[in-house]
Amino acid sequence: MFDSRGKKILRDVWLYKSRTLLVAAAVAIGMIGAGALLDTWALVQRVTVQTYLASHPVSATLRVESFDDALLAQVRAMPDVAAARARRVVGAYVESGGTQVGAELFALQDWQAHDIGALKTERGTWPPRDGQIVIENSALEFSGAALNETLTLQVGKNPPRALPVVGVARDVGLPPGWMDHIVYAFVTPATLASLGASSDFDEIQIVVRDTSLSRDGVRRVAQAVKSDIERSGHRVTNIDVPEPMRHPHAAQMNSLLLTQGAFALLTLLVCALLIVNLITALLANQTKQIGVMKALGGSAGQIAAIYLGYALLLGVIASAVALPAALAAAYPYAALKAEMLNFPIVGVSVPWWAIALQFAVGCLLPVAAAAIPVSRACRLPVVAALQDPGIATDGLYVRRRIALPLVGRPLQLSIANAFRRRQRVMLTLLALATGGAVFLGADNLRESVRASVDRIFDGQRYDAAFRFADEYPSAALESVASNVDGIAHAQALASARVSVAHADGFTGDVFALVGMPTDSPLLAPLLDSGRWLNGADENALVVSRSLLKDEPSMHPGASIELTLGGKATSWNVVGVVESGPQLLAYAPLATFNARRGDERASQVVVQTMAHSAAMQLDTVARVRAEFERAGMPVASSLLTREVRRAFEDHLLMVVEFLSAMGWLMIAVGGMGLASTMSLAVLERTREIGVLRAIGARHPAIVAMIEAEGLVIAVLGWVAALPLSVPMSVALSSAFGEVMFSVPVRALPRLSGALGWLLLAAVVSLIACAMPARRATRISVAAALSYE
Amino acid sequence: MTVLSNAAIAPAPLIRLRRIGKKYPSAVGEFHALSDIDLCIERGEFVAIVGQSGSGKSTLLNLLAGIDRPSDGELLVDGVNLSTMPQRALSAWRGVHVGIVFQFFQLLPTLTAAENVMLPMDFARRLASRDRRPRALMLLDRLGVADQADKLPAALSGGQQQRVAVARALANSPAILLADEPTGNLDSRTAQSLLDVFAALVRDGQTIVMVTHAHAAIDQATRIVTLADGRIVDAVHV
Repeated sequence: MFDSRGKKILRDVWLYKSRTLLVAAAVAIGMIGAGALLDTWALVQRVTVQTYLASHPVSATLRVESFDDALLAQVRAMPDVAAARARRVVGAYVESGGTQVGAELFALQDWQAHDIGALKTERGTWPPRDGQIVIENSALEFSGAALNETLTLQVGKNPPRALPVVGVARDVGLPPGWMDHIVYAFVTPATLASLGASSDFDEIQIVVRDTSLSRDGVRRVAQAVKSDIERSGHRVTNIDVPEPMRHPHAAQMNSLLLTQGAFALLTLLVCALLIVNLITALLANQTKQIGVMKALGGSAGQIAAIYLGYALLLGVIASAVALPAALAAAYPYAALKAEMLNFPIVGVSVPWWAIALQFAVGCLLPVAAAAIPVSRACRLPVVAALQDPGIATDGLYVRRRIALPLVGRPLQLSIANAFRRRQRVMLTLLALATGGAVFLGADNLRESVRASVDRIFDGQRYDAAFRFADEYPSAALESVASNVDGIAHAQALASARVSVAHADGFTGDVFALVGMPTDSPLLAPLLDSGRWLNGADENALVVSRSLLKDEPSMHPGASIELTLGGKATSWNVVGVVESGPQLLAYAPLATFNARRGDERASQVVVQTMAHSAAMQLDTVARVRAEFERAGMPVASSLLTREVRRAFEDHLLMVVEFLSAMGWLMIAVGGMGLASTMSLAVLERTREIGVLRAIGARHPAIVAMIEAEGLVIAVLGWVAALPLSVPMSVALSSAFGEVMFSVPVRALPRLSGALGWLLLAAVVSLIACAMPARRATRISVAAALSYE
Repeated sequence: MTVLSNAAIAPAPLIRLRRIGKKYPSAVGEFHALSDIDLCIERGEFVAIVGQSGSGKSTLLNLLAGIDRPSDGELLVDGVNLSTMPQRALSAWRGVHVGIVFQFFQLLPTLTAAENVMLPMDFARRLASRDRRPRALMLLDRLGVADQADKLPAALSGGQQQRVAVARALANSPAILLADEPTGNLDSRTAQSLLDVFAALVRDGQTIVMVTHAHAAIDQATRIVTLADGRIVDAVHV
């Protein structure tokens, strides 16, 4: 099957099996990381096409004040509209585990429509009949309900009602209920009426005919639909146009995967450096063999093919391990990602091209990495190759004697040895330093995120927030709360859903406008630019940074129009605040109430005199009871510290996803160090024999090898410090893409740097253990005669 | 012994060197390893190149093998001018026309004896794949080491390794067999045995050029070329 050259490749692999397997394992680890991400991305893309896009996601939602079938038919008949449906969404609360959690009840005119936001039954009965409820799959566990049991719902102040859960359905257009902490459910209009809500549809949702339209294109169609509806005498109060054909969480998922993918590529680059090290050492060991083969008539190309074949085989071994492992890792990871997108991953397989691409990269990466050293070695003149002195007398010199005071001679020898193969040490250092830079960058990002959370929550000086199903006069809400023992301050917050009315007639996305007293002691959001609201402000508006990112026209100094309660209202943007990923704006309470024509609020925030969580919970319970007594039932209450913890955990999860690749790199870097030290021990076999012959005992030899590894690890630690600066910037930028912008902390923290030093030392000790053991196991006689 | 002129005598010598020089740069200026070498070697000759260490013997052998290039002069082997041949073509030419035997055998340690012999055939690709092993076995048999065919070099004695190296040198039936101190690393009995092999090859018409210090080897040669300070000082037919 193989000629003598093929056999040489196989036997070289066997001869250098420990080092070959070490580097193959490092390449495999890099490939598992990169492959798992590619497989995950491919799976998510495939499932997106098969489920989300196949469901014909809604292009735009228009909020219309009362309409009939004739209007819906009129919209359906519009040339740019492929499908339309009527819907009503009602906010409610469900009893879950003794507490109330928010819910959104969807009533649709046509449950079986496949051409717009198609719903898929998962279990039980579909569609719901009057008096029944079907829960959205992603909210089932969170709701605490189970199929064929009852769920108690309450809409506003209406009496709660227990409804049988008859089925579970999936709406792939919704973000997962468990993530949003909302129970999504489907009921008939008659069921809504039985819960005390209006049963009239108040939304028209459309799918545009041209699915290639951009968001602006869809907005134009929605605007045309709005004009058409308004010509028929109906009022459109809001238009919501999501990013076309993209799941609400898709951009975050893609950013996260792409960022991880970039780090995976970096890991593969580190693997390539290890291959260069391995091949260079192999070639140094076989220079004379190359000379002999050339003398026997082998051309440079023929001989290069032998060593590139060795590299190819190394890639095949790595691929054989990495491909199935990447697949095994990809399915649960893709399932997690899909869960975040509310897709099922069942029945979807990784496309063949993803496997083929990984195999090609796995095989070609070692060949590409080996190409330059192989080419250099095979071009060596025959005479020079034949006269090569061999690796045992490698002809390397330490050009300057390193003499450090108070450092023993064996340690000085270790330090000098670390610099003998400079190119190899540089490549190993680069591998270690890259892993360290990601480690330090992730540490910086973690601290930046924590600091940002601190800054965001520093402005939220209240300990608890209470939400109500209905709106009540602000003064009454504040009065009831303030009268409870242990409450220092209470503040009612009025809010409304608004959107920007652009000059060109388009309507922007819906966001929350919060009306609040300008001198509130309970809320002082962190100012990013411009200024905060003051008592003299009338039309002033302060926007969150995330809202500014979504609506760039809302910059400080801009005059804008907002559609508030169906009416156009003028505002001047005076400042930008940092409030995390929330799209919201603040306005003076007096102006807000005046524009809305209402002085009621549905939320109260309170500052307690308690400091511990237990005492705050006790105060919250008493406040709830007081509101109940006052006839203002609380729908939900949350402690700020709990919100903060959940928020921080959510953000740190993304940080950990990003930093996971750093651990892969450190593992690969550690293997690189092991490979380098193994080669160093091999090359200095004779030297080690001499040391042992003149009396060096095993512990001394082991200490010298470990010390040499530590020198490299410490240098890797030093190199990682400056490298972590651009890495920190890159990670912060990636986090900004995935979540929200955080201040860049470029310089490594002392604790992070010390942690990385400790980690590098541990990695070094482990990596050098095997080479050190080998150095002590070879007999002195054999070591002295080693060539 | 008859002293011959260095000038070409035969109408078509296998090897012809005309005013060959080889110099290397060194810290103290150019070092002339060979100067004004004129030499012709006929087919079927067994030439021993002798001289002190540093006299230029190995350099001359390297030039004949095409693994080094002369700095001056013209080197023709079987009518081909090696001085001007491109490096890539030189490898292919060498694989077919020259067989080399090294002092330290230089067998590839991860290939068996037979595979070492097959390696030049694999490079040259003049024989079909299926014919290479039988030829390797035939050559090993001719050298008396057929029973060692599937052993790795480390399992062979020095003499056996050198015989395998000779078999490898003969793999592609080269016109010239070049040997650099082939007995230098062998005991006297093994060395004599190898020289007997060389003598048999010469009897079969093989041209051999051998660098050596060994008297026994010199005694087997049909011509002795003596080098001193990079120049031919004596060339005698025996």
